[in-house]
Formats: sequence, structure tokens, C-alpha cells
Amino acid sequence: MENKNSGKEYWKSLREYYDPEELKKIKHDEFLEGAIDFVDLESMPPISRRKFLALLSASSAFAFAACTNYKDKGEIVPYNRQPEEIILGKANYYASTLNCCSRNCSVLIKTREGRPIKIDGNPEHPVSQGKVCVRGQASILNLYDPDRLGEPLQKLSEKVFSSVSWKSAEDQIKKSLNEAVKNGKEIAIISRKINSATALQVLSEFVETYPTAKLYFYDVLTNKNQFYAWKECYNLDSVPSVKLEQAKVILAIESDFLNSDGDFVNQTIRYAKTRNVDDLKNFSRLYVLEGNLTLTGANADYRIKLRSDFIREFLFGLINEINKRVKKQLTIPYNLSQLIAQVDLNVVVKKFNLDEKVIKTLVEDLIRNRGRSVVLAGNRLSKEENILILLINEILDATNLYDFSQSLISLSPENDLNDFQELITKIKKGNVEVLINFDANPVYDLSNLDFKEALKKVNLTVTLSELKTETASLSDFILPIHNPLESWNDFQTYLNVINLQQPVINPLYNTRQKESIILTFVYNEPYHEKMYHKKLKSRWEKEVYPKIKPAVDFESFWYASLHDGFVNLTNNQNIRPTFTLKNFKGSTKTYSDRILLGIHSGAYTFDGRFANNGWLYELPHPITKIVWDNYATVSPAFAKRHNIENGDVIEITNGKVKSQLPVFIQAGVCDNAIFLELGFGHSECGEIGRGVGVNVNKFLNLSSSSRFFDYVSFVNTGKKYNLVTAQEHHALDDTFVKDFHRKRKIIQEGTLEEYEKNKNFIQAERKELLSIVEEVEYKGVKWAMAIDMNKCTGCNVCVVSCIAENNIPMVGKDQVEKGREMHWMRIDTYFSGTPEDVLVSNQPMLCQHCDNAPCENVCPVSATNHSSDGLNQMAYNRCVGTRYCANNCPYKVRRFNFFDFRSEFANDYQYREPLNFLNNPEVTVRSRGVMEKCTFCIQRIMEARQETIEKGIEFDGSGVMTACQQACPSSAIVFGNMNDPKSEIARLRKHDLAYYVLEETNVKPNVSYITRLRNINSEGV
Amino acid sequence: MDNKYLDYILKIRVPVTVFFIILSFAITYFVSRPERDGIGYAPEQPIPFSHKLHAGEMGIDCKYCHTSVEKSRFASVPSLNICMNCHTVSRKDRPTIIQLTTAYQNNQPIKWKRIHRLADFAYFNHSVHVNRGISCEECHGDVKNMDVVKQVSSFTMASCLDCHRNAKVKLNYISSINNGPENCFACHR
Repeated sequence: MENKNSGKEYWKSLREYYDPEELKKIKHDEFLEGAIDFVDLESMPPISRRKFLALLSASSAFAFAACTNYKDKGEIVPYNRQPEEIILGKANYYASTLNCCSRNCSVLIKTREGRPIKIDGNPEHPVSQGKVCVRGQASILNLYDPDRLGEPLQKLSEKVFSSVSWKSAEDQIKKSLNEAVKNGKEIAIISRKINSATALQVLSEFVETYPTAKLYFYDVLTNKNQFYAWKECYNLDSVPSVKLEQAKVILAIESDFLNSDGDFVNQTIRYAKTRNVDDLKNFSRLYVLEGNLTLTGANADYRIKLRSDFIREFLFGLINEINKRVKKQLTIPYNLSQLIAQVDLNVVVKKFNLDEKVIKTLVEDLIRNRGRSVVLAGNRLSKEENILILLINEILDATNLYDFSQSLISLSPENDLNDFQELITKIKKGNVEVLINFDANPVYDLSNLDFKEALKKVNLTVTLSELKTETASLSDFILPIHNPLESWNDFQTYLNVINLQQPVINPLYNTRQKESIILTFVYNEPYHEKMYHKKLKSRWEKEVYPKIKPAVDFESFWYASLHDGFVNLTNNQNIRPTFTLKNFKGSTKTYSDRILLGIHSGAYTFDGRFANNGWLYELPHPITKIVWDNYATVSPAFAKRHNIENGDVIEITNGKVKSQLPVFIQAGVCDNAIFLELGFGHSECGEIGRGVGVNVNKFLNLSSSSRFFDYVSFVNTGKKYNLVTAQEHHALDDTFVKDFHRKRKIIQEGTLEEYEKNKNFIQAERKELLSIVEEVEYKGVKWAMAIDMNKCTGCNVCVVSCIAENNIPMVGKDQVEKGREMHWMRIDTYFSGTPEDVLVSNQPMLCQHCDNAPCENVCPVSATNHSSDGLNQMAYNRCVGTRYCANNCPYKVRRFNFFDFRSEFANDYQYREPLNFLNNPEVTVRSRGVMEKCTFCIQRIMEARQETIEKGIEFDGSGVMTACQQACPSSAIVFGNMNDPKSEIARLRKHDLAYYVLEETNVKPNVSYITRLRNINSEGV
Repeated sequence: MDNKYLDYILKIRVPVTVFFIILSFAITYFVSRPERDGIGYAPEQPIPFSHKLHAGEMGIDCKYCHTSVEKSRFASVPSLNICMNCHTVSRKDRPTIIQLTTAYQNNQPIKWKRIHRLADFAYFNHSVHVNRGISCEECHGDVKNMDVVKQVSSFTMASCLDCHRNAKVKLNYISSINNGPENCFACHR
């Protein structure tokens, strides 16, 4: 019975690794400590029995008195003129584009009776192919955020604002603009990087009208080093994507390409195609070289842990070693060839204590698979490291894998951080009269610069923003702007495609499109809603339409493009640029004795522009599972050496910059380094985001070639901070043995080689199980799901999609701590190996809809029971809240509404208008005291059934997609009718690699998992 | 037996017991009256629209006004532009039509009194029933002959299941009818 390949002992967290006893106790109890504590009687206000009865009778008397006609059933108010495209109860879909990051993904927005309720990728779009990232899924929440600004505000005094009419705000700003031009003082416009040619045109028109105006663009999570590298090596202004689907060997260097680097969605789609267990010939092998443990590292077949500042030396060694054997003629500068020749890979391996065998295999693999091996560079690397990686790719003929038809371009210029430093100097000298923040938040984003003080020196600061951000609250005028779902725009991030953005809802508040606000100053004409739309359309008529030369007139072309959400441009895609590097700046000095600080993009919070989005804060971090906080990640060895524990608050110092953060000890992180994540620590933004985590933007490096790395020192403050992780919650039931995850076959893994040799290695281990109940035969449709663990990267998009689809509330940090999070779906993470060299296994866990569901037997009121199509049903209106079912569920996927979390969390935030518009009308909004869980998206099943009845055909279960399945970028989730022999799900149920979690309990789950195969060499590293 | 005790039984116990028995019968009767389920509810509408005239005498098809009944969960109460299809021309001089026209022109909605209502946790779907050939009258009664629409049948789970379980008997005019689904998820999600 021993599973040879996985002689690993799985552990879910370091606490479990070191102290299994404590955890056993936690797992033994149904709920975490405190979860079922409810009221502390001591803290209740004293009230006598008599008084209570008096109040009770008085209130019931009032209630009766207030009773109106019980027969009254309210009113129905139909449309006056019903829009033609609206059928009540049917969703409409519109293609548009998001503005979540500088990628501007094309999406399909589901609207019901005019309200957008769900965002998914645009299936027709060549890049996003129907998928969208976590932020894209969650961005629907921003539209209905009750904390959005609804009126223009004018500052009266420090922190005191009063609402002002648009007219008056405009007049005052215009006056100052004109004065600035008259006095020859600068008007500075700060913006995030803009990928819209039309918006850039508007800004340049503004500069023409007001000649003293200057534009500044920034992108905190910049990828300009890649652009620089491509410019220098190939003289190209674009960066091609990589055809990962054709790659056999992938080496990702500091590149979290499966989560936060580059185009996550497109890369995941491509990568997943190489992890197909039915196409073993093209099964890829992923090497990841990184310092911090990222999601990509967690998916690696071989993970090489190397501190991020030593990467350059490693690259020199790698190039040296590879080129020694490949002997490719290259035109590279002399000093570079010298630098390469100096470094011997074996010496590097010894110096940094890397695993010789792994490196040997890596080099072998890269060379053997020339033309199908590729090295990916992380955005955060410096220009030089990017150049070196391009060089390796050139040697490896990885240029075959460059997809020039999907080349990333950068429409807007991007200023260096030093330009902003200069701007601040100018402001302090009094040379800047007006500062316009064009949907930018420099006080937060560039908090390594002194914008806070500088803003005081500007005569007039105007901030265009959706939220009252840090910058906005220091401005003289805050002009509220449209959400992307209320706006018109066009975006071009790739050479060959332009995305269109169209409003899918009328503005909810008295807001304006940000480009139109600028246009009112340019044109000197009063604002109207169509202003920018007109501009956009006329630019398309003049510039885009002639380029494409379609066979139809412009109007038809325009509406067709709006319908599709994008247009394809035909560019010369067969370019084969040649590698010509002219010069190379020498190596930089590294200090192995100093502590490295690495700054990462927030796993979900990104650069922090989604400041008030609670879904993203509550989503457990893909590796550490921490919610509602950021922290300093250190390695176990480092923590031991410096005597720090989880939750200790350390003060990190870099020159004058200081910050206090709690520590989280994470296995698999390189030694002598601290890693931080961006996107937290907003002091102003709204109810949800205020004070969540710590702002670490101030550590962004100004002087070095990569702003994400620096050397720091730290001290332990002796303070403690409570970090809440969702990791140890709902741990699957423990037995006496420590390696229960393997023994109980929750995670089953094998190697590719093993599978090739013995296709039956998983099925052979299955035992015949005795059943004490009679087998139920399911005729007709029977629903089942299969999750391919080879494709699943643990990206969490499914979880957010589920939240949006099923009206799942946020509960807040204190409730997650008690194990009361409400997510119907979660990604479990299991670690194996040692804390220094860690292997990660992710597993999406949701209701398994067991045929012999243990939850059903114990429900005293039969609120949960089985349907004839194999679903484990949950009738909320019948549930009385005994929680027996949750206690009896072996998978711990049932969620109890301990409160009405919508009112419990953040002062009724989730009951505030207009957040109610976000709810999916096809799903009940659950209240306090009922149990809930995954329903396999029954509303979607019923909708598909309705359509077949409408057409008069028999319902065979095809055409149903659950929300998680639809959102999964790697298409790891398959759902369907397993009784239909032609269906994909029926094939996967019978797959050699299919297994059920906790199968020996004989609950007969309807969710099967496809065993993950690690592509590891026979040397068995 | 002790006289005093018999006295106690006759004077107190029996009347109290009888009282409670009557009370429980009374409450049960009161609560289970069809009226409690809304049967017979016929509120006055803001415009006295007559289904008898439109659907009965003139024979306009139900689906002409309740447009989405075959396509969606909701049958939908017609928007005013549907009324105006005819009433821009016909009967323009009647006071109620003038009321309708003014509302339409001023973009004011008309607040109809709701007659049929299911609890929010029940997701009834009109289209699946209508597309199976089940007639509107099955639940809504003979609307064609109602001047003022009133609720005829009970809209409780019991009455739903009554049909779902005995479709062949109840809906014998549809030859291919099978029993409806009985599982919770069919209506509750």
C-alpha cells in the first residue's frame, strides 16, 4: 500500500511541523476556540426580568399596532418604456474593458435588469480568452462600494470638506489654471500609466491649451526594465509574450508568472496546456529560481531557492555553462563576455549552497530541449538581469517560443522615480501652481517620496478619484469620477488588439468621466456625458477605422467593435529581430552578510489601488493563508537565529525610512532576507481598507536599477501582533499519525515517470469498500465535478468568482480568526519536505456532494438532503441551525451564519446602499442562523434546464458551467453530467489518475481529483 | 369522591379544558382559512384594468402583454408602452385612459397592487411551466372572466407539490406530462 513516490510527510503549517500535539487538539474540536463563544453575560447591560418583560410586551403591542393589512402584498412597478433588450429575469452580457492594472483585460459583464452583477473574461478575446484575474472578478465590488465619492468636494480646512457644485469647482480650478499659465508656473498632472491613446490625446490637448502643464506617469509595479532590455537587445519597443504552451522546460527566474508577474491570465492558460496528463509527450517541466516562496514556486517541479540579489551571479554562471556546451556565436560586448567567463557555475552552486543535482538536471534539460526550453524573467528584476535572461534564451533558441503576435506595448511614457523627486523639489521651491492627480494616488503609491509635505506647497491640488484616498484628503478639490463600468474608453496593451470600454450602467452618483473633466478645461464648454464618447468615436473614425479597412461603414464597424469589446489589428507579425547588444553595465555589488529586503506585488491587493475592496483582503494569501494583513516574511532559520517568532513586530530600517511589521515565518523562503508585500496600509480610502496592514511603498528603492530590492536592518520591538491565517482552520480530521494527509489520501501525487511506467498506480491502491446502505441508482442526469491538480495552480480566481456568484459576505479579520469565514470554496495548502526545502500541494476544496453524505443523516429537520440528480441540497428556509451537519462533514466545507455577517461586519457596510445591487438575484441572501455551502451553482443548472424546456429538447446536462469552472484560467475544473458517456466529466471520472479525497469513508464524493504528477527526474532529486 | 374535588373539576377544570379546545379549534380555523393564503384577495388597482374585457371579450392573448412568460422566470407586468400600442388610438377620451396616457408621457410609473406572491426563497419559474403546456388558468384561475383580478388558488408549497406529484391527473390535458421535480433545489437555492 505504500505510495513510493511520496514518502513525504505533509504538514499544513510550521506550527503543525513543530507542534502536532497542539494542533491535534484544535482539529479534535469541531470549531476553533472561541468560535462558539457567543455572549459574555458579564458584559451585557444589566436589565431586570421585570423590565425585560415590560419592554417585550410594549414592543409587541407596538408591533401589533403597526400591523397593516396582512393581505397586502406590496406593489409591482413595471417600466414605463421597457428597454427592448431587457427581459426581466434574463441576464444581458456586455463586452467591456477593466482598468484593474496596466493590462486592461477585456471582459464580459453580466447585467441583470441593468445592474452589473458579475464579471468574467471575454471569451472571444485573443489574450484573456474568457478568463480574468482575481482583481477583475472582485472589481465589481468597487462599482457598488458605498464609500465611493458621490459629490465634488472642496477643502475648507485641514481634513474638513464640504460638497460643492461641479460648476463652482470647475470655475475655481479654471481660474487657477489660467493664472498658472499667466505667471509661467507649472501645472503638474500626475497619472498612473495610461494605455489609452484617446486619453493620452486628451492630456496632450490639455498641455497644448495650458503650455506650462507637464505630465508625469508612474506605475509602482513597473515592467519597464523588460522594455529597456528588449530595446537594448533587439531594438524593439515591445515585449512579446511567450508561447508557453509549446515549451517543454520552463525556468522562471524571480518570476511569479502564475500569479503576479506579467499577464497572469494568459500565461496560466498557456502553461496549463502543458500540464495535460493525456499528452505526456508534451508535459512540461517547471523550474523556479526565487528567493521568496511564490505561487509559481509552489507549482514548480524543481524549486531552487536563491536569494534574489545573487541571481545575477547565477545567471553569469548559467550562461557560461550553457554556452560552453552549445557554443553559439553571439555578438555581445567584450566586458559582458569577460564577466561571463569569470563565473563558473559549479563555484556559484557551491557558494550559494545550491543542490548540485538539480542544477545539473536543469542545465541538461535546458540544452537537451533547445528550442523548446525558455527562461522567464520576473518584472522585478533589473534591466541587466533581464538582458542576461534574453541572452540565455538566445543561446537556447527560445526565440522560437516568442509570440510576436501578442507583443506587449507601452503607449504612455513612464517617468522614473527620480523625475518625481525633481517634481517635489520644484514644488518645494514654489514653482508648481496647480497639481492635478488624474486618478492617481501619489501620497500612497510613492510614499518613498515626500508628497505629503510637498502638497502643502502647491497653490491648488485637484484630485480626480473614485475614493477619498490619501492624496484626495490632502487636496483642495476632490472630483469624483466614474467607475470603469460607467466609463467610455479604449485601451491598447498589445500591439495587435485594441480593447473598447463601454458603460454598462448609468452613473450611480453625481460623478464624471475623468477624461471629460479634463476636456471641460480644454474646450471651455460645459460638461455633458457624451463629451469623451464623442472624442473617442471621432478618434476611432480618423485613426483606427482607416487602419483596419473593414468592408462596412464606420457606424457599423463601431457598433460591431463595441459588441465584441475589441478589434484586431493586423501588424507584421513575422518579425525576427536579431540580438545585438551594444554595451552592458558591469555587475553590481552584493552584500551576502546584509539583510536583503524584497518587495513583492500584493498577492491579490496588487499595488494597492483596490484600497477598499474587502473581497481581496479576506481572500487567504495563496501561500501563507493570512487574511486582512501584510507582514514581513522570513525563513525559519533566520527567525531562529534572530530569536523571533510568528507575530513578533519588527522595525525595519533603511536609512531614514522605518516601518514596523509583524513577522510571519514561512518555510521555503531564502535565508537572510525579508520579503514584504505591497497594497496594504491605507490611511484613507473608506471603511474597509483603512488601517489594514502596513504601507511598504516607502521602501521602494530610488537609486538601484530595480526598485524592489534593497539592504536593510531590523530590530525586534518586543511587541506582538495577531496575524490571522485561514490555514489551520477546517483541517481535515486528524488521526494519531502525523502524516495523515498521505495516509488518508487527501493529497495523492506521483511522478510523470511512475505514471508512464504504471498507468494504474493510483487505482491499484484503491480498496473495495463495504457499504452499509443500499446503493441508490441515479437515472437521468447526475452531476459531478473533476479537478485536475496538474492544471490547478492555486490562484484563487475560482474562490472570488464563487463569492460574486453566490452572494457570499465578508466577515472580517476577527471572525476569520474564529474560523467563521464564509467562502464556499477554499484552496487548501499542504507542505511537505523540510522547512528549508519545501514542497507545496494546493487543493481546491468545496462541497463534495457525496452520494452517502454524512451531513444528511444527522440533520434533525432534513434541511439538507439528496436530490435525484445527485446534488447535496441545502434548504435554508428549513434549516434551524443545529450545526450537526458541519460537525459531521469530513471535508469541513459547510459554513454557518453565526451572525448576519452583512450587518455584523464593519458597521453594516454590506447593508449600505448601493451594495444590495451587487447581489445575484437568483441566489438567496442568507441570514443569521442557517448553514450554507456550495450548491454546484444550482441557479445555473436550473437556467440551463429552463432553456432546454423552452426549446422542447431533453435536458442532458450539457451547457452548464459553474462559476468556479467558468473562472478557472487553467481550465482545471470540469463539471457536467457523469451519466452522459460522451461528456468530458464521464471520461475524467474513469481516468487512471482520478481519486477521491477520504475515499475510505465511503461517502462517495461527486468531486474527483486528478492526481498531480510532478515531472521529476529518475535521479530522484 | 370528595365533593369539593368534583366541584373543582366541574367548575374549573372542565371549563378551562373546553375553553382551550375551542380556542385551538378557533385558531386553527382562523389560520387555515383559504383567505389566509390570499385566496379571494382582489385589491383595487390604480387603473381599473379589466382582464374580462381585454383577454375575454376581445380575446387578446395573455402573452401579448405578459411578454416574458415563455422566456423567463417572470411573466412580467406589462410596461406602459405595451398599453400604449393600442391606447394611443383607442378609447383616448376615457378618463382612465387619459390617466394612463399622462403617466406614460410624464414617465411616471404606475404602481399596480400585487396579487400573487410567492415567498422570496421560492424560485418559481413561469417559462418552464408555460413551455410544458400548462395553462395559465391552472394557478391564476379564469382571469378571462374577471373584471377585477383576484387570487383563486393557494400559493403554498403544498399546492405546488400537489401538482408536481399528481401531474397526470391534474394536468390530464397534456399527454406527455410527467411529474415535476420534488427536490428542494428545484425551487430553493
